[in-house]
Amino acid sequence: MSAKQAIDLKKTAIDWLGILPFLLFAVMFLIAPTLYLVTGAFLNPAGEFTFDNISGLFTDKILASYWISIRVSLASSLGGAFIGFFLAWAVVLGGLPSWIRSSLLTFSGVASNFAGVPLAFAFLATLGRTGLVTLLLRDWFGINLYATGFNLLSFIGLTITYMYFQIPLMVLIITPALDGLKKEWREAAEILGATNTQYWLKVALPILFPSILGTTLLLFANSFGAIATAYSLTGSTFNIVPIQLYAQIRGDVLHNPNLGYALALGMIVITGISNLIYIWLRMRAERWQK
Amino acid sequence: MSFLELAGIQKSFGPVQVVHDFDMTIEKGEFVSFLGPSGCGKTTVLRMIAGFETPSGGTIKINGKNQESLKPNQRNIGMVFQAYALFPNMTVHDNVAFGLKIAGMNKAAVDARVKEMLGLIHLGHLADRFPYQMSGGQQQRVALARALAPKPQVLLLDEPLSALDAKIRVSLREEIRMIQQQLGITTVFVTHDQEEALSISDRIVVMNSGRADQIGTPFDIYNKPATRFVASFVGTLNLIEATVVDPASNRISIGDQAITLREPLGPVKAGDTVSLALRPEAGSIAESAKGDTALTGQVVSSNFLGSVIRTRMKVGDPVISFDMFNAPGLSPPAVGDVVTLRFTASDLLIIRE
Amino acid sequence: MKTQKIGAWIAVLFGASYFIIPLIATFEFSLRMRRGEYSFDAYRSVFSDVQFRESFSYSIVMAILTIVFGILLVVPTAYWVRLRLPQMRPFVEFITLMPLVIPAIVIVFGYLRLYNSSSFIPFTGSARGTDLLLMFSFMTLSLPYMYRSVDTAMRTIDVATLTEAAQSLGASWPTIMFKCIFPNVMSGVLSGAFITFAIVIGEFTMPSLLNRPAFGPYLQLIGANRAYEPPALAIIAFAITWASMALLQLVSRFSKSAPSKP
Repeated sequence: MSAKQAIDLKKTAIDWLGILPFLLFAVMFLIAPTLYLVTGAFLNPAGEFTFDNISGLFTDKILASYWISIRVSLASSLGGAFIGFFLAWAVVLGGLPSWIRSSLLTFSGVASNFAGVPLAFAFLATLGRTGLVTLLLRDWFGINLYATGFNLLSFIGLTITYMYFQIPLMVLIITPALDGLKKEWREAAEILGATNTQYWLKVALPILFPSILGTTLLLFANSFGAIATAYSLTGSTFNIVPIQLYAQIRGDVLHNPNLGYALALGMIVITGISNLIYIWLRMRAERWQK
Repeated sequence: MSFLELAGIQKSFGPVQVVHDFDMTIEKGEFVSFLGPSGCGKTTVLRMIAGFETPSGGTIKINGKNQESLKPNQRNIGMVFQAYALFPNMTVHDNVAFGLKIAGMNKAAVDARVKEMLGLIHLGHLADRFPYQMSGGQQQRVALARALAPKPQVLLLDEPLSALDAKIRVSLREEIRMIQQQLGITTVFVTHDQEEALSISDRIVVMNSGRADQIGTPFDIYNKPATRFVASFVGTLNLIEATVVDPASNRISIGDQAITLREPLGPVKAGDTVSLALRPEAGSIAESAKGDTALTGQVVSSNFLGSVIRTRMKVGDPVISFDMFNAPGLSPPAVGDVVTLRFTASDLLIIRE
Repeated sequence: MKTQKIGAWIAVLFGASYFIIPLIATFEFSLRMRRGEYSFDAYRSVFSDVQFRESFSYSIVMAILTIVFGILLVVPTAYWVRLRLPQMRPFVEFITLMPLVIPAIVIVFGYLRLYNSSSFIPFTGSARGTDLLLMFSFMTLSLPYMYRSVDTAMRTIDVATLTEAAQSLGASWPTIMFKCIFPNVMSGVLSGAFITFAIVIGEFTMPSLLNRPAFGPYLQLIGANRAYEPPALAIIAFAITWASMALLQLVSRFSKSAPSKP
């Protein structure tokens, strides 16, 4: 009996030993750094517990940077999801030639990974003050884009730029979901008297809802944490949270290291909340799934 | 006037014509099966009735009304699909209620009708389940209830049983037939399974490469197949090549044995070959068996199939199978035995192309 | 039906112009260096820049190291979880998805505080140490993609049966791992590797905050100081991403037809 117990114990130990490297990695490079920041957000420089850092976030400047970050992320994720969904719909159900579908998917695979600094360069060359589109609009149509109040280094400019990788990401994730819509569902709805609109509202969209929502929230988190594109577009003049945090890490511009931790905590909380909303809504929407 | 009229229906997909000159009239309350192998055009005809395909030619009338200009959602037709096609995001109740809600029925009336329909298929207790929580047979019954709920004028069943287990298939087809008779709904049933078609139809259309080979009651189709295709597709059949001995007296020979047919041979001459069909259950080797005709042959195999024993005997070149019912105490013929099969000459059908 | 098709064409045309116009514009801009005529001067200038070559090769070496160590971490873990610890799968999957939820800048912020020169593991105390930390941070970034593609590949082969078959033939654990498991999940490993490559080459935040001379920070530096080289670099970066993805497609297409071979 005890010998058997000893063998079982040894077996369990070996089982756990197998993923020890992974656990060690996770603790050292994901969990510990995150926890360090989270606890740091509640400590003062002397190491005592305090809410000062959290309340320190509620200044106009920091709140404004969170607000612009959330707006850009929301706009680019909703816009990306919306346009991406229509593109995927067009190639899956729009009756287009099949080469369009394969080209779009291949291109999306590339474009969804084309982010960061080079993307900023591309949009500067397109919609910057001497960008091609800006010049063409001026020379061909007599429209002075920048006189209309447009600025690439602004909310609208950043949103348009981010959508360059958001749209393809949506296309990549939602296309398989659209493929999963069975032809018979449409026919069954149709023969029961439903119009095309009724089919989409009552059958297709509810079925797609978890995927659409999940991808939109993924897109939100994706742009909320992004910094490279914005930083090279605007330098540090455009105060989205990641740029604020970047400046804080480089030079303690807030003059309080623990306030920096609180800034990071705020980012984790927002992406965390968006994920919790996703999990919650998905569970509600997935009652009918296995 | 018939309830459902199909006249001169044609359908081509590109250069391929899949339905040729299909004519058919179906009476109100009738249960008609389209029977044929896959690719014979039976599903295409069904989908044209539903409105999912547009005929290349011909007319479809339901209750005297031309259907051409109507979309599927304007035809008031019920349809059950092979793969159930229940909406996965809705409960059983909501699936059945779908057509009713679309029609704008109020909630109380919807609930009452759903309850009635679920009672009809004996699944009232599963109203709150989702499709994935049910077996295939249950899902298909729900699909039937969903199709019937809005009181359609015609019910179309597109191979509804072929995804199910053998046992469920039999019980569900009986249930379908019972419900159909109870409601008196005009029904078109598509299947490739001849036993299914024979067991539940009022009439059967046997289809072969886009054409209706024969339209008739199950009894006619089985006992008087009009073409070689119908004869070979429906049931098990001996197809025997015989030589004409004397056309005037209807004498022919099978192997080395001459017999007289009841049916006139038609314009053939001595020495010609004719094809004859004989059902395995038509004859008997019992001494006491009645019959005006007999063939003697040597047993080459004898297989026990449960309720029957199927024996094959060689009469010269041709091999003829016959069935005898199993009974305790029966000794089946052994290989090498010489037996005499007695049957009525009128059971021997001449197959013309 | 007709309006649906028109709508589909409009969507595709809109999407295509959204995707392609910036590329054309970038390319056009990159040719403008010589006044009054188009030339490849910007590209010549980029390729002759010593810093370009140094930072680019630094990033390539980092990418390769990240891929190698990433594979060594992910493949045995995914294998072991499938084989012996299936109850841990939700937890392990949650961990591997964390880098998608926690922004990269937050993670690297944590590293800087936790592993600075005065801490008990002073990664950032030396250049080599920082390189090591940077590699680990790249591994973290690519973890979601790597784990997913390897785990997906493992789902298609029956890991348990394969292992038992190997054990019954007397194979040792290293033999099982390198001779049985690795070759069979190669398609997943490779697709994970190409995505990792694309991520590492372009990554800005981590090397920038860790002060290492990688390609991302170099791009940013050029962008801030030059006019015509940045679009040329954007075109080069796009070509690199395209090449990684093309290789990925090639591998997945090849491996789909491969299993029938002995």
